[in-house]
Amino acid sequence: MTDLEELRAAVLQGDADAAVSVARNMLDAGGDLAKIVNRGLIAAMDEVGERYSRGLFFVPQMLRSAKAMQACMGLIQPLLKGDETSSRGKVVIGTVKGDLHDIGKNLVAMMMEGAGFLVADLGVDVPPDRFVLKSQEIQADIVALSALLSTTMPSMPETIRALEEAGVRGRVKVMIGGAPVTEAFAKKIGADSYAPDAGSAVQRARELLGGS
Amino acid sequence: MLSGAGIREIDRAGRKILRQVGVRIPDESMLEQLRAAGARVDAGSQRAYLPGKWLDEILQSAPSRFILSSRDGKSDVHLGEGRVHFGNGGRVFRVRDLDTGEHRPTSLRDVACAAALVDRLENIRFFIVPCQAHDLQPGDYHLNTFYRAFCHTGRHVMGGCDGPEDVHQIWELAAAIAGGRNRLRDRPLFSVITNLISPLTLDPLVAETLRFCCRRGIPVTCAPAPISGATAPGTLAGTLAQMHAEALAGVALAQVFAPGCRVLYGAVPATMDLRKMEFAMGSVESAMLNAAAVQLARRYRLPIYASAGVSDAKTPDVQAGYEKTLSMLLVALSGADYIHLAAGMLDSGNTMSYEQYVIDDECAGMVHRVLKGIAVDGEKLGLEVIRKAGPGGNFVAEDHTVDHMMDEFFFPGLAVRSNFDIWEQEGGPGVAERAREKAREILGGGPNEFLDPGQISAIRRKFPGIQDI
Repeated sequence: MTDLEELRAAVLQGDADAAVSVARNMLDAGGDLAKIVNRGLIAAMDEVGERYSRGLFFVPQMLRSAKAMQACMGLIQPLLKGDETSSRGKVVIGTVKGDLHDIGKNLVAMMMEGAGFLVADLGVDVPPDRFVLKSQEIQADIVALSALLSTTMPSMPETIRALEEAGVRGRVKVMIGGAPVTEAFAKKIGADSYAPDAGSAVQRARELLGGS
Repeated sequence: MLSGAGIREIDRAGRKILRQVGVRIPDESMLEQLRAAGARVDAGSQRAYLPGKWLDEILQSAPSRFILSSRDGKSDVHLGEGRVHFGNGGRVFRVRDLDTGEHRPTSLRDVACAAALVDRLENIRFFIVPCQAHDLQPGDYHLNTFYRAFCHTGRHVMGGCDGPEDVHQIWELAAAIAGGRNRLRDRPLFSVITNLISPLTLDPLVAETLRFCCRRGIPVTCAPAPISGATAPGTLAGTLAQMHAEALAGVALAQVFAPGCRVLYGAVPATMDLRKMEFAMGSVESAMLNAAAVQLARRYRLPIYASAGVSDAKTPDVQAGYEKTLSMLLVALSGADYIHLAAGMLDSGNTMSYEQYVIDDECAGMVHRVLKGIAVDGEKLGLEVIRKAGPGGNFVAEDHTVDHMMDEFFFPGLAVRSNFDIWEQEGGPGVAERAREKAREILGGGPNEFLDPGQISAIRRKFPGIQDI
């Protein structure tokens, strides 16, 4: 197997250690960065996506492949020139104030990272001003809010108001989700998008930022 | 579901989790209370570790049998006596409108109608406040939904509460209806559902709610809802071990708050479909997990708040039929005292449908027939009547047939049994349609109020937050 084939295989298998090892060897040998990224990592993830949509790869496998790819990008990122960042967009995500549930939010964060977004995960029970501060700090493109309890959903319009008051609202897209959250509620509170599950969250994020 | 060895292994693993991994409770005073009671606490990681010997001592005071009382006295739920009770479930936010078939957000009127419906369905033995009342302000939810529950059904009422102030209000309401706090303690008309967050986390507000209930004699459960492959290991045994640890932690905490308090071992395990990370409460594995949970609770002689009868289907269709029946049967055969979620639920527990309540009541009837078993005795063996009819005879009009038929056979109201031609002539009816007709018949004139007018006006004076529907 060539180095490139080995790299692709390791990413496909979700073996982060092996992938990083091959990538490091290739870099040490003076390999071409663009080739490693495009024909190694991205090509492997395209294959992963293809298998996932045909039902041959399940989400856990997809996430492990994404982690392997990210581990390699961790090696490569510092070597890329300033304007060659490969982030699809920057997302601030968290479960709203009063709510400690996070599995859904974690899934969205993992899948967004896997799709190439830079994700700042604020955790759970996040008050509106923390969303505002983080968005300002990283110049976020998307603010993603999650809630499992209907009683904590009011924190969502509160967070949108906080973004407005801080003058941040115009610079971000707000996306919401969670079991009791609906499209109708999203419209009512002025959110930009609603996603019913983690997979669609990635799709909506791409649409919101003008990609596809 | 589990062999004796399986139960022992899972129990051992659960106890190890409590001893070595612990439960995280981000609340200093709660942790302090546990430490004072003998648990090992680490303030830095906010974890409480429950050692085996301590656990066994604490759990000794948890009662194995108690009664959840019904307001009308006719449908008390006896826990810990080997009886199986089916009931509905909560946290629904969407309803399939009975008239239009459209899906819409739930309202206070839906709470009242669901209560009125359950009251007339023989096999649904308790009523859990089923849904959000989206037409109310959040502050008015609990008082109004519980009031409607008490008003429109005589069954025992259970519901989730978001904090001690909410329970307090309902406690006052229930005491007013019961005729005082002491009478309420003797005959608890309502009980409360709280939940841990898997894995191994307890929200401080939940702990406070639990404490409020335990100290006032309000029966309660602190139920884990781990999802295999997401918030619990992606194996059934692993999920059970974690769930068992969480459930025992809930019961132990309740006993720390008030030794001897009435608490149910809670279990709402389910699975994630790992292909696309879809929540699969109706999966066969969810059914198996719930059946196994009953066995784990019984090892500690604790009554169980069990789960069955949820389907991921969005309408009362074929999938709903087979998913619900499978889980209801498995969990009932395991001997669960109190099987919630088993009426009216669809869409992984997010949607309720009136006709589904009626269908599930029939399913529950079938399951009860299985539990009743085949009676074998001289009378039932019928040697006399066989001798009498002789070769070539028939049994249709025999006394023996008539004498036993009400006992031996479950007569479903919905199942289509007519022969093909008659079925065609009748317009090809199906179960869902018949269920809708029955629901409409029961709810026809609107939900009746059970409390007498004097009681109602006294209560409405005392609780001005109560609204009309």
